[in-house]
Amino acid sequence: MSWDDKLLKQAKKIIKLYPQKRSALGPLLHLAQSKDGYISDDSITVISELVGITEVQVKSVSTFYSMYKQEPTGKYLLSVCKSISCEINNSSEVINKVQEFTGLNNNETDEEELFTFEAVECIGACGGAPAVQVNYETVEGVTPENAINLCKWLKETKPDVVVADEMQENFGGIKSFDWAIQDNSGATSTAPGFQTLKTTKVKK
Amino acid sequence: MSEKVNLNVNGIEIESDPNKLLIEACEDSGIHIPRFCWHKRLDPVGMCRMCLVEVETPRGKMLVPSCTTEVSDEMVVDTESDVVKKAQEGVLEFLLINHPLDCPICDKAGECPLQDQTMAYGPGESRFVEEKRHFEKPINISEIILLDRERCILCARCTRFSDEISGDPLIEFIQRGNKTEVNTFPNEPFKSYFSGNTVQICPVGALTSTSYRFKARPWDLKSTRSTCNGCSMGCSIELNSSQNKMLRILGVDNDAVNQGWLCDKGRYNFEYLNSDSRLKTPLKKIDNELVEIEIQEVYSELSEVIKDRQTKVTFLLGSNLTNEDYVAFREFSEIISQSEKSFYLNDDKLHPGLFGENVELAKIDDLNSSDAIVVWAEDLKEKIPVLYLRIRQAVKNGVKLVVFGHTNETLSDIADVFYGKETVSENFEIVKDISKLKEIKDLVIGKNITAILGKSTPHQSDTSVTKLFEFLNSNSNSKVLNAYSKGNTYGALQTLENVKGLNNFVNDISEENTDLLFIVGADPIGRSVYSNQIKSIIEGLDTVVALDNFNHETSELANFLIPMSSTLGEKEGTFTNIEFRTSRIDKLVPSPGQTVSDWEFITSLMNFSGLTVETNSLESLNKKAYENLDYSLSPVFDNLDKPSNLDGMVNISKPKISSSDNNSNEAKFFIGEKLYGDSTTERHSDSISLLGSKKYIEVSEGVVEKYNLTSGKCTLIQDELEVTVSYEVNKSFPNDLIYIPTNRRELNKFDFSREIMIIPSVVKEALNVN
Repeated sequence: MSWDDKLLKQAKKIIKLYPQKRSALGPLLHLAQSKDGYISDDSITVISELVGITEVQVKSVSTFYSMYKQEPTGKYLLSVCKSISCEINNSSEVINKVQEFTGLNNNETDEEELFTFEAVECIGACGGAPAVQVNYETVEGVTPENAINLCKWLKETKPDVVVADEMQENFGGIKSFDWAIQDNSGATSTAPGFQTLKTTKVKK
Repeated sequence: MSEKVNLNVNGIEIESDPNKLLIEACEDSGIHIPRFCWHKRLDPVGMCRMCLVEVETPRGKMLVPSCTTEVSDEMVVDTESDVVKKAQEGVLEFLLINHPLDCPICDKAGECPLQDQTMAYGPGESRFVEEKRHFEKPINISEIILLDRERCILCARCTRFSDEISGDPLIEFIQRGNKTEVNTFPNEPFKSYFSGNTVQICPVGALTSTSYRFKARPWDLKSTRSTCNGCSMGCSIELNSSQNKMLRILGVDNDAVNQGWLCDKGRYNFEYLNSDSRLKTPLKKIDNELVEIEIQEVYSELSEVIKDRQTKVTFLLGSNLTNEDYVAFREFSEIISQSEKSFYLNDDKLHPGLFGENVELAKIDDLNSSDAIVVWAEDLKEKIPVLYLRIRQAVKNGVKLVVFGHTNETLSDIADVFYGKETVSENFEIVKDISKLKEIKDLVIGKNITAILGKSTPHQSDTSVTKLFEFLNSNSNSKVLNAYSKGNTYGALQTLENVKGLNNFVNDISEENTDLLFIVGADPIGRSVYSNQIKSIIEGLDTVVALDNFNHETSELANFLIPMSSTLGEKEGTFTNIEFRTSRIDKLVPSPGQTVSDWEFITSLMNFSGLTVETNSLESLNKKAYENLDYSLSPVFDNLDKPSNLDGMVNISKPKISSSDNNSNEAKFFIGEKLYGDSTTERHSDSISLLGSKKYIEVSEGVVEKYNLTSGKCTLIQDELEVTVSYEVNKSFPNDLIYIPTNRRELNKFDFSREIMIIPSVVKEALNVN
C-alpha cells in the first residue's frame, strides 16, 4: 500500500460515513487526487482494497469523471468556463489571455508544474460570468486583464491555500450571489476543498 | 400465477406475463426486435438503442427502447413503422461510424449480429467520411482472450457478464464519450474461469479466443448439439467442426442446467482431439516395449484369458464414459459370471453419499426456489464451475447462502454465513454444536433448504457430512444435491451397481482376486493420491488392458493399450448429470486411426470369444440401460431426440454405492483439485495447457511461521521425492493445514498419511563479481 497511515485513517473515516463501502469511492478518489495531484494506479489499488471492488472498476469511475485527473497536475488548476453565459460575456478572451500568459493548451501542465490549464463546461456561476476557478475555488466576473493579474499573483506569491473570497476581492467583479459570510477556508490542492476530506485550510 | 397482460404489437394481439420486458414479450410471440446489448440472461442497460420501438402514450407515439420498457396491459406497440425504421437506420449508421468493417478478416463475420442486422435494418450507406478511431489491435487481455477495441460497439455485454454472472469484474469501460473503451486494469489480466462466455455473447468480433481465432468461417462449420462431460454438471453444448476437425464449443441455453454458460475448461479442453500424440493403433507390451498390433490379435489374446469364464476381472473406469459404455462393461461382467462385481471408479473419495430413504434429492432449479442453500462440499467453483454460477444466480435473487468449511472459500464472498476454521476443524469435522450456531437458527431451521453436500477431501470421514445432513433433515425441509463432481459419475452410479472408489481399490485388489484388469479412461497413477499403492498393485497383475486417448503414466504399465475414441465429439451416447438429468452425447468428427469406442471394444471382444450377447449395438445398450423404466419416460435415444426433450430427461433413481471409509490418518493435508491441472488432455489442449502448469500449495499462516517461509517458494520432501512449489497464504485455513492440488503432476505422489518435510527455498542472490 502506498498510502501513509494518516491518509489511510482518513480514508477509513470517510468509508464509515456510508452504508456501503463502495459508496465512498467518489470522495476517496478526491482524497487520492489531493495527495498526488492525480489518480495514480497505486492509489487505485489502495482504494479498490479499501472499498472491496476490483481495480478496473475503480479505474472505470476515475476515468469517467473529468475532475479526476489522469495525469499529474500543477500546483494550481486553472479552470476557465467556456459555456454559454460566460462565452457571451467574453470568456474566450479570458481563455486566450490565460493561455497566452501560461503558454499552455487545453489540459496541459507547464514544466515547473505550477499551472494546469483547462477550459471547462458550466461551473454554476452564470450570474457572475465569466467565471474562473483556481483549484475549484470560484472567482466570478473576471475580466481578461484581471485573469492575467490573477495568474501573475499566483506565480509570484505561490500561496499554499487559495481562498475564493480573497481572489474575488482582488480579481473578481460581479458575483452571482452575495452569501454575506466571509469564508477564509480554501483549497490546498487540485482536489476540491471539502472539510470532511481535509482538503481545505483556513488562511490566516 | 399472476394474470396475463394483453398488448397489441403491429396490430396483432399478444399475451404476456406482467413485469416482462417488451423485447422479451415480443420475442416469445415470434416478433423479433433487433438488439445488440440486450441479452436474456443479463440485466437490461439500454446501451445500444437498436431496439427502439414506437409505443402509444398519452402524449402520442413515442420511441422507447423495448429492452428497458416493461409491458403493460393494453399497450399498443409498433415495431415496424417508418419512424422505427428510420431510428434503426440512424442507430446503425452511428454504430458503424467507428466500426472498422474488417469483416473479411474477422472471425465473427458470417454469424455477426452487427453484420446481419446492418443487412436487415441498416441504411445501406454511410455519410461519415471522417477518420475512425484507432486502437492497437488486438490486445491480449488474458492468456485465452483477445480484445479488438476498434470493433467494439460498447454494448456492455461482456462487462455485465463478468460483473453480474461470474462475479469477477476484471474488465470495465475506461474513459468516456468518444474515448470509451473496454479494458482491464494494467497488469491485472482478465483471469476468469468463465471468460470464454464473453467471446460467445459479444455481438461483434471484438472479443475473440486464441483457440478459434482464424480457424474457420461459420458457413464452413458443421455443428451438432451434445453434452459436456467435463464435470457432473452436464452443460448443453454445441460442437463445431470444419474439415473433420473439432474447432469450437459453444454453450447452449438449457434453462434447467447451464443457461448458456460454460466454464473455460469445458469450452477449450477439446483441442487434444486434434493432437498428434493421440493413440491411434492398439499396442502390446513385449519385453517392455510397446509394439503395434492388430486389434484382432488383441481380441484373440484376451479371449484366451477369459476363455474358461471363471476369470476374475476387475474394472477401473474413468468418469468420461457414456452410460452405454458403462452398460457394456456391466453386461460383459455379468456374462463371464463373476460372483462379485468388481467396478471401481477413478475417484479418490467416492463415498456412499446421501441416497437413503429419508433423503429427498434436489434438482438444480431448487436452488432458486429454496429459502437457503447450505454448502459443504468440494470447492464448487473449481470442481463444478457452472453450478457455482447457478448458486450465484440464486443468491442474487435473494436466496440465503450458508457455507461450511475452508474448502469452499470461493463462495465465502457471496455467502450470508461462512463457517470457517472456527467451526470446521483441520480434520474436516464440524467441531461446534450445529444447533447452537446463531445464524443457523434464523436461516435454516424450519425453512426450505437445498443442501449441496459431498466429501471435500479423501481424508474426510464419511460421517462428518452425514451429521450435517441429519441436522438439516430433522430441522428443516431439506433437499439434497450430492456433489460428486467428476464427469459422468451419476451415469456410472445409475448403470453399475455397488461401485467403489480408488479408496477401496487400493485395499481390495491384489493378484489373488484379479486376473484381468481393465483401466478405461483413467490415469490414477498420474492423478490419484493413492498413486504409489495403485502402481504396485498394477505391476503385480497378470493382464492389464488400458483403453485411453493418450499413453500416460498408468497406461504405460498395461499389457495392452487400446486407442479409445473421445466422448467429446467422437461417439454417441448419453450422459447423466448431478440432478440425474440424462441428455444426449453426439458425434461430430470421425475418430482418428483405429480408435474404438469402449462399448465397441468390449462387445467385439465378447463376440470374438463366442459369448452370446444381446446388446451388440449402441441402441440396444441404450435400451438396456433403462429397461426397468416405463419406456415413455426413460431417456432412450428415441425419447431424447424428441424436440421437447432436447434439454434432457430427469430420471431420479437412488444408486447403491458400496464404497467404505478409508479415513485412516490424522494428517493435516487438504487434498483437492483446481479447475485447471495438467492431465494428459489438458496438456494437449494448447490454449489452456499452461493455465494448470504452476505447481503451488496453499498454507495457513501458522505453517508460514512454523517453517519460516519467506521467499515465496518452498520444497516438499518425502523419501526420494522432492518437489519445489510456490506457496500462497490462505488466511481462512486453520493452523497447520496445507492445501495440495493433486491435479498438478508429482504433487499427488506423496504419501499423505505421513509427514512431508517443508524446507523454505533460498532465493539465490545475484553473484557479485567485482
